[in-house]
Parts: sequence; structure tokens; C-alpha cells
Amino acid sequence: MLYLQILLNGLMLGGLYACIAVGFSLVWGVLNVINILHGSFVVLGSYIAYFAYVHLGIHPFFSIVLSGGALFALGYAVQAGLINRVVGAPVLTTLVLTFGLDLLLNNSMLLAFSADYRTVRLENPFGSLVVANLVVPLNRLYAMLLAVVLTGLLYVVLMRSRIGRAIVAVRMDPEAAALMGVNVKRIFALTFGIGALMAGGAGSLLSLIFPISPLASTDFLGIAFVVCVLGGLGSIAGAMVGGLALGVIQSFGALFIGPEHGLTIAFVLLIILLIFKPTGLMGRRGYE
Amino acid sequence: MTEQLLTVAGLESGYGEIRVLWGVDIEVRPGEIVCLIGSNGAGKTTLLKTISGLVQPTAGRISAEGRDIGGLGSGDVLRAGIAHVPEGRRLFRTMTVRDNLLMGAYLRNDEPARVQQDLDRVMTIFPRLAERARQDAGTLSGGEQQMCAIGRGIMSDPKLLMIDELSLGLAPRAVEQLSETLVEINRNGVAILLVEQDVMTALDLAHRAYVLDRGRVTLSGPSAELADAPAVREAYIGVS
Repeated sequence: MLYLQILLNGLMLGGLYACIAVGFSLVWGVLNVINILHGSFVVLGSYIAYFAYVHLGIHPFFSIVLSGGALFALGYAVQAGLINRVVGAPVLTTLVLTFGLDLLLNNSMLLAFSADYRTVRLENPFGSLVVANLVVPLNRLYAMLLAVVLTGLLYVVLMRSRIGRAIVAVRMDPEAAALMGVNVKRIFALTFGIGALMAGGAGSLLSLIFPISPLASTDFLGIAFVVCVLGGLGSIAGAMVGGLALGVIQSFGALFIGPEHGLTIAFVLLIILLIFKPTGLMGRRGYE
Repeated sequence: MTEQLLTVAGLESGYGEIRVLWGVDIEVRPGEIVCLIGSNGAGKTTLLKTISGLVQPTAGRISAEGRDIGGLGSGDVLRAGIAHVPEGRRLFRTMTVRDNLLMGAYLRNDEPARVQQDLDRVMTIFPRLAERARQDAGTLSGGEQQMCAIGRGIMSDPKLLMIDELSLGLAPRAVEQLSETLVEINRNGVAILLVEQDVMTALDLAHRAYVLDRGRVTLSGPSAELADAPAVREAYIGVS
């Protein structure tokens, strides 16, 4: 029963991890840009949810619209105004750029919000569901379900919409996409915006579960990295599988080794995978 | 000279420091099939890429129906009615055949019904694509991929279809089939500018031809005449 409980905890955590990672994976896959800003985007989403709840009384589940919208605008602007200028350059160049931008954004948040941890304390907590000795904290369950819905929505948009097809086309062959009349730079900006939107949405959901501080951004970035390597890059299904796998592994790791080693476990796993199966669990290499 | 569909005059272009085209003049009239022949490195692909806006010209003029399109982006060239089927097909491999074809219609904003009509038309021209509409484009055979690439080009509803290396890597039977289809597409009013290494196939298909050599047009005229020209027979067909 204990193991079942831990598996359940892991899956609930994993759904959120998938939502954190999917935008990071999309940007990496389509733009070949490693977006170091992603962790800070998640934190900014959490702050938007926090302030929306404290000052406006908007429940974090609904402030997804606010945090997602704000981060989409920010992401679009950053890509269109800055990263597009160097997007064809080697990965190291764009990495340094996003690293620099992350320092700016993260330190701005430290100045504005301080490093103190905050939490969203709901006036009417969801409580827990108890089924046959299994305890299901409802805030986590709902957050995880919403994360899965959000990720699923992204999948549908990519597969079924005209813009989604253009994004997939640009990922596979930017020059051929340009010949179809696709404005590749604009698709880059849209994709980066969508990546940031997913980070913001994930931030809103996480605000109910994790303490909020700019210091947490590197944790989220690390999680996004590990999930991408676990699941394989650039595919939504991969992010989902990788997220759930990491959530479950971390939960069991916390039981056997201790909860304080959650991230250590994740990174050890990353190193092992890079040595033995660098294509990820889904077996995809690079862009295919 | 507004009756010309495409006019290229004194065109120079290249990649960075490397000049590839040195003053190229060609024309395509409405309803024509024109082929460009020449050896490797003659600049055929660069010419198509410069027309379609992938490579920027450094001098000269490109106009479509009298309107200057030199230096415009690929999207604007496509809007002017010129579609480019690139060398090596360049399909979106993990997208379905149908989605690849729809990408060809990306810029069109007429009603979905008309796009659907054109989709049906492409499927009628290439029944194999209809059979494989839901398959990933990467699973198609070489000939089917070329069908899909040409179909994708037609989906933009162009006045001029530029095809780079129609026969590259294809079985003779597939080339024959595709050639017949191109004639059919042409009969429906679409002009074709064909780049081809296989000179016999090209001259067979086209009304007129240009020979490109080291970035310059060295010969031009009706295909039948060029096929008999000693210079062409010696250099490209291998008989004298």
C-alpha cells in the first residue's frame, strides 16, 4: 500500500513536471535554443498567480490565463526583439544570451519580490480524498490534471491547427517551410512565446504546491533538462513520459534515500542516461 | 513586355563572397514549359533559389507579370504566383501526406472549400497520394515523395511552378509517370520551369530550353533545336 501511495504521489508530481518541461522542449526542438530563462519564467508565472490571488482573489487555477498570457507576450517580445538576431548562430551563442537574460530577469525578481519564500494559502483548501487508505491531496490532483489538460491542448494545437503545422514544419526544415510562405522568424517568436506560456501556466499550478521564490528557478530548469533527456527532445509525448518517469523515480528515491535528495537523484539519473542512452527513453535523436 | 509570366534580366547572385550567377537572362511565358539544363555547379539551383527569395540577388531584375519581385521574401514571391519545388523534395517527413499538401496552401486565405477542392484535385492527379494521405511523408517511396512535393507546390495555386531536379534518384519508370503528369498540369494552365540533369528528359518535356554554364546562359531556344545543337549533344548527351 505504501508503494502504491508513493507511485500515486510520483504520478501527480510527474504531470506537473511534464508541464514544466514541455515548453522548454518545444523551444529546444524548434529553435535549437536552450532556454535558460525557462526556470525564471515558471517562477514569474507563480508570482503572477500569487499576487492575483492575494490582491484580486483570483484562484490560481484561473490565473493560468493571466500568467500564460503575460508570459506569452514576454516570450514573444524577447524572441522577436533579441534572440531572433542570433538564432542561426551556434548553440553556445544563444545559450549565453538566454543565460544573460536569465540573470537579468532572476535578479529583477529578487529585487522586486525578495528571496523570501511565499505560498498561496487558499481560504478554502481542497483537502484530501481518502480512498482505501490512499491519501490524495486534491490540490495536487487537480493541478496535475490541469497540467495534463494544458499539455494535451498544446498537442492538439500543434497537430491540428494551421499555425501548429507551421511550427512543426519549421522544426523539420526551416527553408522548406519558408518556401511554403511561412514567416520563419515569426514562427520562432510564436514558438518561444508558447514555450513561455506553458512555463507561466505551470507556474500558476505550482504556486499551490511549492513555495515561491526566485531561488527556485534553477530547480525548475534542472527538472526541465532531465525530463527532456529522459523523454527525448522536442516531442510532447516525450515530455509527458519523461515527466511522469521523473516524478515516480523521485518519489521512490525520496522514500529510500531521503526527500532532501530529490534533485540529486534527478541529476544522477541524467548523467547515467547521457552515458548509456543519450537518445532518451523514447529513442529519438535530435529533431526527428 | 508585361505578357511574360517571369522575366529575369541581368541577374547576379551568390552566397557571401562567392558569386554564382553572372548576369542571367531568362523568360517564361504563360502556359509554357521551360527547362534549364547545365552541368553541376552551373548555377541552376541558385537561380531558382534567387527567384523564390531564398537567396538575395546582388544585381539585376526579377519580375512576375511585370511586377518587380527581386529581393522579396519567399512568402511574397509565392503570393505573386511562383511556387518552388526544391531539390531533394524536402518534405516534412513526420507530417502526413495530407498535412504536407496543406502546408502548400499555407498562405491561401480563400475559403476552406476551395482549398479542399484543390486537395481533391491533387489527389486525382496523383491517386497514390490519396491512398497514402494519412501516412507520414517519410514513409513514401522516392517517386511518391516527388509526387507529394509537386502536389504541395500546386496547392499554393501558382501560375508558375519551378521544379528543381525532377528525376534525381528516381527510377526511369517513375520519371516517365511524373513527366506525363507535368504535361497534364501544364495543360491546366500552369507554366513550369524545370531544372534537370537528365537532358533528354528535359528537352523532351519542354517547349523551350536554356543552357546554363558557369553562371551564364550560353544557349537558348526551342527544345527541338537545342536537342540537335552540336554543342548540347557533345556536352550533355554524350554523342557527337
